[in-house]
Amino acid sequence: MKKQRIALLGAALATAVALAACGSGGGSTAGAPAAADANAVVQVGSLYEPQNLDNTGGGGQGVTEAFNGNVYEGLYRLTDDGKVEPLLATGNTVSADGLTYTFTLRDGVTFHSGKALTSEDVKYSIEKVLAPDSKSARKSSFPEIKQITTPDPKTVTVTLATRSISFVYNLSYVWIVNDQAGSIAAKEDGTGPYQLDTWKRGSTLTLKKFADYWGTPATNGGVVFHYFTDGSALDNALLTNAVDVVTSEQNPDALPQFADNPAYKVNDGKSTTKLLLAFNDRVAPFNNTQVRKAISSAIDNKKLLQSIWGDHGTLIGSMVPPTDPWYTDLTGVNPHNVDTAKSLLAQAGYPKGFSFTLDTPNYDPHPTVATFVKSELAKVGITVNINVITSDQWYTKVYQNKDFQATLQEHVNDRDVVWYGDPDFYWGYDNPQVTDWVKQAEQAPTEAQQTELLKKVNQQIAQDAASDWLYLYPQIVVASTKVSGYPVNGLNSQFFAYGIKKG
Amino acid sequence: MTRYLVRRAALLAGTLVLASVVLFLLLRLLPGDPANALLSVGATPDQVAAARHQIGTDRPLPAQFAHWIGQLATLHFGTSFVSSLPVGPEIVSRLSVTVPLTLAAFVLAVLVAVPVGFLAAHRSHTWYGALAGVVSQLGIAVPAFWLGLILVWVFALRLRALPAGGFPPDGWATPGDAVRALILPVVTVALVMSASLIRYVRSATLDVLGSDHLRTARALGSSFLGAMWRHGVRNASVPVVSVLGIELATTFLGAVVIESVFALPGLGSMLVRGIAQHDYPVIQGVLFVSTFAVLVVGFLSDVAQRLIDPRLRTSFGRRR
Amino acid sequence: MRRRVFLIVGAVLVVLVLAIALVSLFWTPYPAADTTGGRLDGPSLHHLLGTDKLGRDLLTRLMIGARIALAVGAGAVALGAVVGGVAGLLAGFASRWVDDALAALLDILIAFPTLLLAMLVVAARGASLGSAIVAIGLAMSAIVARLTRILVKRVLAMDYVTAARTSGVSWPRIVTAHVLPNIWPTLAVNLALQFGLAVLAEASLSYLGLGPPPPNASWGRLLQEAQSTVLTAPVGAIAPGVLLVVLVVGVNLVADGLRDVADPTRRRQR
Repeated sequence: MKKQRIALLGAALATAVALAACGSGGGSTAGAPAAADANAVVQVGSLYEPQNLDNTGGGGQGVTEAFNGNVYEGLYRLTDDGKVEPLLATGNTVSADGLTYTFTLRDGVTFHSGKALTSEDVKYSIEKVLAPDSKSARKSSFPEIKQITTPDPKTVTVTLATRSISFVYNLSYVWIVNDQAGSIAAKEDGTGPYQLDTWKRGSTLTLKKFADYWGTPATNGGVVFHYFTDGSALDNALLTNAVDVVTSEQNPDALPQFADNPAYKVNDGKSTTKLLLAFNDRVAPFNNTQVRKAISSAIDNKKLLQSIWGDHGTLIGSMVPPTDPWYTDLTGVNPHNVDTAKSLLAQAGYPKGFSFTLDTPNYDPHPTVATFVKSELAKVGITVNINVITSDQWYTKVYQNKDFQATLQEHVNDRDVVWYGDPDFYWGYDNPQVTDWVKQAEQAPTEAQQTELLKKVNQQIAQDAASDWLYLYPQIVVASTKVSGYPVNGLNSQFFAYGIKKG
Repeated sequence: MTRYLVRRAALLAGTLVLASVVLFLLLRLLPGDPANALLSVGATPDQVAAARHQIGTDRPLPAQFAHWIGQLATLHFGTSFVSSLPVGPEIVSRLSVTVPLTLAAFVLAVLVAVPVGFLAAHRSHTWYGALAGVVSQLGIAVPAFWLGLILVWVFALRLRALPAGGFPPDGWATPGDAVRALILPVVTVALVMSASLIRYVRSATLDVLGSDHLRTARALGSSFLGAMWRHGVRNASVPVVSVLGIELATTFLGAVVIESVFALPGLGSMLVRGIAQHDYPVIQGVLFVSTFAVLVVGFLSDVAQRLIDPRLRTSFGRRR
Repeated sequence: MRRRVFLIVGAVLVVLVLAIALVSLFWTPYPAADTTGGRLDGPSLHHLLGTDKLGRDLLTRLMIGARIALAVGAGAVALGAVVGGVAGLLAGFASRWVDDALAALLDILIAFPTLLLAMLVVAARGASLGSAIVAIGLAMSAIVARLTRILVKRVLAMDYVTAARTSGVSWPRIVTAHVLPNIWPTLAVNLALQFGLAVLAEASLSYLGLGPPPPNASWGRLLQEAQSTVLTAPVGAIAPGVLLVVLVVGVNLVADGLRDVADPTRRRQR
């Protein structure tokens, strides 16, 4: 058909605004046990093709999915319940002032190119994330690092300018790369159980087993990631056995055909992706807490979630998903109640409502959600003008120039409640108390104290209705029963393939 | 004729140069920042500036243009802003999907459309002639992606006869798989293309059937087929060939929906991705190649028309 | 006589869609923004064609979609016909060099994807129904111009036209007396085709977020939305398609009918 040009831009572009993350996993896996063939190649279907192969070079969600834990490894890795465990480091010590970390490296680790892992590689890799030209989404999460030294090939010490309780956690996002590798935008040199075979852009990315892997070898013969731009095409590929597993199913209405078929298993995992109606808290009327609370009460999030996701997904009531350590159920803080919304509006001085423009990214589910929001707010007298913009425009207009009234956006990362402590963030929530708590939490001596403070933050932003947290996405992995051992949570969009068994 | 060919070829070259300048400038009108595709929420102003510097969009336009043309002169298309991969090899790899898809669909469409369109015109009083007309009427109104989904449902999901989509990772190194992967997309594109072609063929045939030469020739004792061949086909071909040229050109990049439905790594989806990411080298590369292809097709279609219709040939010299 | 029947059938179909669009201006079963229905309810007495994901009445959405389909189709064809027709006529009549330049420009424009054009238009004017019409209409005008140019040259090459030109008949006279009557039939068929393609093209622009902003949606957009729910709610995936076929076939039949009326040689033949 001429002139019809379609791409699921959501898939390609969501990555541009999503915090590229790496993450948890390993622990929780699923699938019926099968008589495994150690040489079988696992065919993985995904909507998220890497933009390039460098997670400090704008590789996006796709490269995290394909490479994290599979091709590259960090000093630490996150387990499926969000805990940090040593990987390429065997352990660390922290100085009494909490500023100097000393890491000991694992023995016998070699890169795919054959070179042995040394402390210089670790220094190089950390500096790569912090470099001026780094496009790593995690760059701003790191504290200021005073210096990195390598007293011997097996030891790395890092000295921080301020205490940082999340430092080790953040290190799990740092790929350890061979310091001789050069640009890794189109090739790789990691230490993981797989190495890159070929990447055919727009089509497939093939990983083969790395023979000299230091740890337990992968339980399969290799992995091929097949990339799709259309969700239905991906479902069809699974139905015709062209792929064995779909990393993230985005269409709830396609699920019955798998759920009703004994040859497939539908896994409901845990997600960290939140859909936000983000107000610009700097500008009237959204600088008024009562207005924000009124809107949060006016919108029936439950009906919205049900409309978009059927019986899947979770209501959260704040920025923190249940997998973060500081989660508390806050869905009751701004419950759906049209009368409450109306009286809050009256108190705020808008008894007849007002009108505002909602900047809506042009890929699903945002336009549909915007329509729902418009219809809900009409009931309390608020008129919503939907302004559809591309992901690129969103980034410039909303994120960089903060030139907006309200917007819709998905935020994919775990532990990202801390953004509410930054008054310069795009949504402009400015509560000195919250900023202070976030800062204290980062410098807290113990995790218990950090958790306590971030719980307070969470409570406060919910009280202030800093944004309206519409819902938490579901994370649905659909797979053929021929495969087992695949990660079902895929928190932060990673997909550890080394434990997958194929019968 | 030789003079015409030379002149037309010179025009082709000139157009290509003009097109590359137009493409370059128009792309720069697209608001938005290519650096954005590389960045994520949380990026600092320094990171933005570094990204711009890395891809070279902080340099003045003439310098960027000179750089691109310089590369092009040595047949290099540059490096993608986003993937850091060279653009040329990816275009070649995608052409290995798009060219067979377009050409096969084109040939199939012509093979279907010419006889059916002829029947629809010449035998419109019979039931099959009328049916041919009706089918082409409906065919135009059916969205291509819908047709594709139906074919996938029947042949891939129900009958399990053909793959539902995708292209083998090894491409044409596994010719059997590659051909099987292209069957359904080719049929889909061909059906959509032929639905509109049938109408042109039918319309052109009707024109010819009603024309005076044909009646004269038949009155002078030529057989119907003989007369048709001598006067009809030639006359009917001119508008059809022109339309064919356009169809071929638009399918080349316009098959994006089909590429999406069948998960094919073709040129159209490369362009859509490039546009979404403001990846100028990719957009420029794809458009340059496709413009080149379209211009060559236009050239061939003009030459073909001239060969078919002697009047265009002779009248040309006489004008002005 | 049969031709007349087709013309009448075509006219009935087009009028039907027009009527739906007109009625939707004054009455729809539910307000456009009403979301009181259930998620993907099947057809019932309350919702004759069922509801969509958000619980909106499908019949209501289809009626409003008729307006958009007609606006996009008619607007784009009008723009394409005027811009493309004039450019094609000029090229056909122009001197060799102007003709060559125009032909080259048209070739570039045809190679230029609608999507890129649409992004430029949307960037300049914002995403709206008007932007979609302008983008599709401009893309179409290149195709129309190219076809017109070739048709015009064919007519000008005919012996009696050449005779008329050499005997000093003014070119406006040649256009109205010889060129337009001769090129109109083929052009009309092409424009009718373009009408359907324009409606379909709008669907892909909508899909990319470059079409008219929500909540209102064209049929093409509805089809695309329903694609993911075809297993649970097949009506939503069929109904917009049926209406689309009705409109496009109707327009084509009318064009065919008009063409036969406009072309006396054709009538004689039948």
